[in-house]
Amino acid sequence: MSAMRGLTVFIADIRNCRVRELEEKRINKEMANIRSKFKGKKKKGIHWIYIYIYIYIDNLKNIYIFFLETNLNGYQKKKYVCKLLYMYILGWEIDFGHLEAVNLISSQKYSEKQIGYLAVTLLFHENSDLVRLVVNSTKKDLDDMNEINNCLALHAIANIGGREMAESLAPDVHRLLISPTSKSFVKKKAALTLLRLFRKHPDVMPVTDWADRIISIMDDYDLGVALSVTTLVLAFAQSYPLEYAGCYEKAVNRLKRILVDRDYSLDYIYYKVPTPWLQVKCLRLLQYYPPPEDTKLRSDISELLQIIMANSQDAPKNVQHSNAQNAVLFEAINLAIHLDSNSTICAQAAQLLGRFISSKETNVRYLGLETMAHLAACVDSLEPIKRHQETIMMSLRDKDISVRRRGLDLLYSMCDMSNAKVVVSELLRYLQVADYAMREEMVLKIAILAEKFATAYSWYVDIILQLISTAGEQVGEEVWYRVVQIVTNNEELQEYAAKTVLNYLGSPQYNETMVKVGGYILGEFGHLIANYPGCSPIEQFQAIHAKFNLCSLNTRALLLTSYVKFVNLFPEIKGQVLAVFNQYRYVLDSELQQRACEYLTVSTMPTDDMLQTICEEMPPFPERESTLLLKLNQKIGDTEDKRVWFIGGKEANLERQEGLKRMASLRMNSTESTPSQSSPKQATTPTVSTPTAPVQQQQQPQSQLAVDLLAFDDLTLGNNTTTSTPTTTTTTTTNIPQPVTPSLPPPQNVPLAQGYELGYNRSLYTSEGVLYEDTQIQVSIKSEYHGSHGRLAVYITNKSMASFENVRFHATSSHPETLSIQLTGDSPKQIQSAGGQGCQLLQVECHDTFNDTPSFYMERHGADILHLKLPIVLTKFQEPITTMDGASFFKRWNQIGGAPRENQVIITCQVPIQLDNVRNLLQGFKFGLLIGVDPNPNNFVGAGVIDMGASGGKVGALLRLEPNLEQNMYRLTVRTPSETVSEQLRILLERPLTFGA
Amino acid sequence: MIKSVLIFNNHGKPRLIKFYQQIDIATQQALVQEIYSLVSKRPDTVCNFLEGSKLLGGKDTRVIYRHYATLYFVFVVDESESELGILDLIQVFVESLDRCFENVCELDLIFHFDEVHHILSEIVQGGMVLETNMNEIVAAINEMNKAKKKSGAATTGSLSVRASETLRAGFRH
Repeated sequence: MSAMRGLTVFIADIRNCRVRELEEKRINKEMANIRSKFKGKKKKGIHWIYIYIYIYIDNLKNIYIFFLETNLNGYQKKKYVCKLLYMYILGWEIDFGHLEAVNLISSQKYSEKQIGYLAVTLLFHENSDLVRLVVNSTKKDLDDMNEINNCLALHAIANIGGREMAESLAPDVHRLLISPTSKSFVKKKAALTLLRLFRKHPDVMPVTDWADRIISIMDDYDLGVALSVTTLVLAFAQSYPLEYAGCYEKAVNRLKRILVDRDYSLDYIYYKVPTPWLQVKCLRLLQYYPPPEDTKLRSDISELLQIIMANSQDAPKNVQHSNAQNAVLFEAINLAIHLDSNSTICAQAAQLLGRFISSKETNVRYLGLETMAHLAACVDSLEPIKRHQETIMMSLRDKDISVRRRGLDLLYSMCDMSNAKVVVSELLRYLQVADYAMREEMVLKIAILAEKFATAYSWYVDIILQLISTAGEQVGEEVWYRVVQIVTNNEELQEYAAKTVLNYLGSPQYNETMVKVGGYILGEFGHLIANYPGCSPIEQFQAIHAKFNLCSLNTRALLLTSYVKFVNLFPEIKGQVLAVFNQYRYVLDSELQQRACEYLTVSTMPTDDMLQTICEEMPPFPERESTLLLKLNQKIGDTEDKRVWFIGGKEANLERQEGLKRMASLRMNSTESTPSQSSPKQATTPTVSTPTAPVQQQQQPQSQLAVDLLAFDDLTLGNNTTTSTPTTTTTTTTNIPQPVTPSLPPPQNVPLAQGYELGYNRSLYTSEGVLYEDTQIQVSIKSEYHGSHGRLAVYITNKSMASFENVRFHATSSHPETLSIQLTGDSPKQIQSAGGQGCQLLQVECHDTFNDTPSFYMERHGADILHLKLPIVLTKFQEPITTMDGASFFKRWNQIGGAPRENQVIITCQVPIQLDNVRNLLQGFKFGLLIGVDPNPNNFVGAGVIDMGASGGKVGALLRLEPNLEQNMYRLTVRTPSETVSEQLRILLERPLTFGA
Repeated sequence: MIKSVLIFNNHGKPRLIKFYQQIDIATQQALVQEIYSLVSKRPDTVCNFLEGSKLLGGKDTRVIYRHYATLYFVFVVDESESELGILDLIQVFVESLDRCFENVCELDLIFHFDEVHHILSEIVQGGMVLETNMNEIVAAINEMNKAKKKSGAATTGSLSVRASETLRAGFRH
């Protein structure tokens, strides 16, 4: 670039401008110069860019005009674009030159191309129409044989890739990533480019289909590629944890290769630490998954953590070395906390952290406090942390505000019943000297802690009023709202609160929030203290009124209301109060005037009836989520990667942990539902062959122990013939409710009948039909559902030549607390041969969200057991809604909002989409289809209400299905107020939509 | 993810501005000024991390910076990045600059701002860490320079401007 003399001169010129005005003058001169150069004389011949200009003529008429006339060679364009870029860095708005940049990109010369791309990444906005002009040349460069051009294109997409680019270029980028012929330096760029496109427009990529291929690249020998791909997988795994579950083991293996086998290229050692970035990424990836069940994996991980801890004992050689070492260590500690916050490794970590927080290195202190806050947020016992309470409190007085903030977070997280008083009073003391930037947050945190850990009412009142009096202006409205709510709802608090607040009002200091609280509380509860010395009505009134003129108009309005309450409570001071009302009848502010006039009239009515009615004591506030917590948490949850923990106590992290648990259970279900796969337990126990009762009992898995205990009650009742019947099961063999013949527990280890899925899947969206059929038997069902109750009739047809003897039925639900099932009515004991039919009735009731369908067993000849799944899923309890109009649909839709309560999926349909079938399918799942709500007639919009009984309540479900007929794909979006219901509905619909109804 | 990478000098003059999110120029400049005012007041002994202000994106945003001689290198990141990892990355960035420019100083960054962008693009792409191995980074830059040479443009030699302090002096921080 040194060859571009004009540019060097220009930069030097700018540098010589000592004042801003001179710089501006020089810049303006240059801009004018470049503008005129870009306009130039009319170009001979036709340039390729004409094609685009023709397309965009409407949007960009002006650009069309000046580009048409451009007459500069590549070098000149490059030089001028460079000058513009320099001006941009200095902070000048650049509003032209974009087309020259586009033009440079398609240049044959690398130096020009490179500057073109640089300008595009710096000056273009992803949503600008101009991006379209770049798409084609970018695509050309992606396909180029020269990798260095691939890289330029990838980098540009990673910077400005919007929907346009995602749609047309994602497949090319993916190809570069997975192609075995791609060079490493292209692969790693492709990985991050793909990540960017995914973040911007996840819906245009079949990310789940790519899972295996992409996960396998995590093993790449090139650590640069491994790092980028791990970063990519980290993002995919957050959205598709199950599909990308394979990455867990890969990450563990990679760490093993680095830490145990020391298998890495020496280039990647950064100040003695092998590739700390990749280590950190892997450790972090593991935190997005629940702790593994596999013991081998568990012990591997804990070995790795041990190694990292041990490595950290090396005395670092210099700052760089200690940084890198600690980066890995801190992430390892975070992982250890995530896996099991009560493990020995965590205890070791707690000790280490204790050393860190009093380290001389500020960075280490800072991170020590932060990580300890993570530990405090997860661990069961805060004792190891409380040992450092003194040091932590000292950190509030650290010279560095960043450290002070972390200290505050930690104190907030580690606060519990036992140390609340000390911590809160320390925070209050510190508040007086705290930085203004931190005060608002501190006030919120103190208020929350005081409320959460109050043991005595007086303590709460003292703290909160002290808080208000200390923090003054930094007290947000929500703090005093909350105080009023709490005092109103707790009768024991009222007298003490009134007395204390009156005390504060007596001080000469003026504090508007205190006046508001005082005005409200005395107006409501002043009468409770009127008999104490110094608290007489007139003294209360004067204490408030002394501050009246200092207050803002809003506060004065509030105080007028307090006064009218005084008139009601204390008729003896009516005279003084009326004088105030009278005075304010003529005030300019209309709100105050109106209040004064109305209150005066009410107070001077012949009877007090009206006044008394108006001034009735306030009813208690409805219980609601603390506005304080809402305010504190409002920032959380909108970063690009999800947080792995939140500041605050255990409760703050519960939701995330619940989510992980659900993921773990899903992981299990997904393996269970594969019929061919049998669990180890099934493999070791032989199939049941007319088991005798005691044997059967032994065979029950451990998990049913609790149930067994319950069954003992039956035994004590003297019914010796009855063996334990788990409450989850109802077994009838005869037509009387009390079984006479020994009733057996359900078979434990019978695999599902071969090919049961066919009928099962179909029955999910029909109310009657054949559930199962083989050469001997046909099972069909009829069902009807009302609200949370359902009735099913299962018809068994004997197709064989011999009659079925000793027929018994069982039906079990794996979670009877969410879905209970019961056999009712007569059960046939025998079914005649060749066409004989028997019928078993069943009752089901839904109590809450469930994801497991119940099992149905039919036993013949005392041994031959047929195991089927009953098609009872959440949508069966759904009532369609068809009367909703577009406005109310979208209102609810928006109320529910996006993820996590929204569940969305892109489905690549395996059969050609037929809209009629889709309509029937959705209606079969009991969604009411709303016509005319979606502007696109091909899109489906549906609604329904799922009734989950008294405990689960009714949940409204909204659905949107957007078919893309060209691509043969759908986008399915489900929104309900419940995260799990949304997910469940999505799962239910996804399969039939994929494979066609 | 890394939201932006900034370099400015002790007087707040920007030398490199790179945002990985779409922000208009006025806000970009306001951010640079705000970060400068936060960072420049801090002595070298305090920690290298700062919590983001409202403008930056609040509590979940961290400002991670290092001060070398006349320049501040600032990375604005979200909470999913390891603080120390980014601190190391800044070191990698500066050492790479040092290798490409042979004893880099502020003037190099001024007159070869495009080069600085290209080097950064080999380290961070689209807000994500791309490469941390200095040999790889320098090799990629050399590759680019070769391609440039082939296409007829002169490459960046080390320039004779050596008036200002080199950054290497600051490596110990």
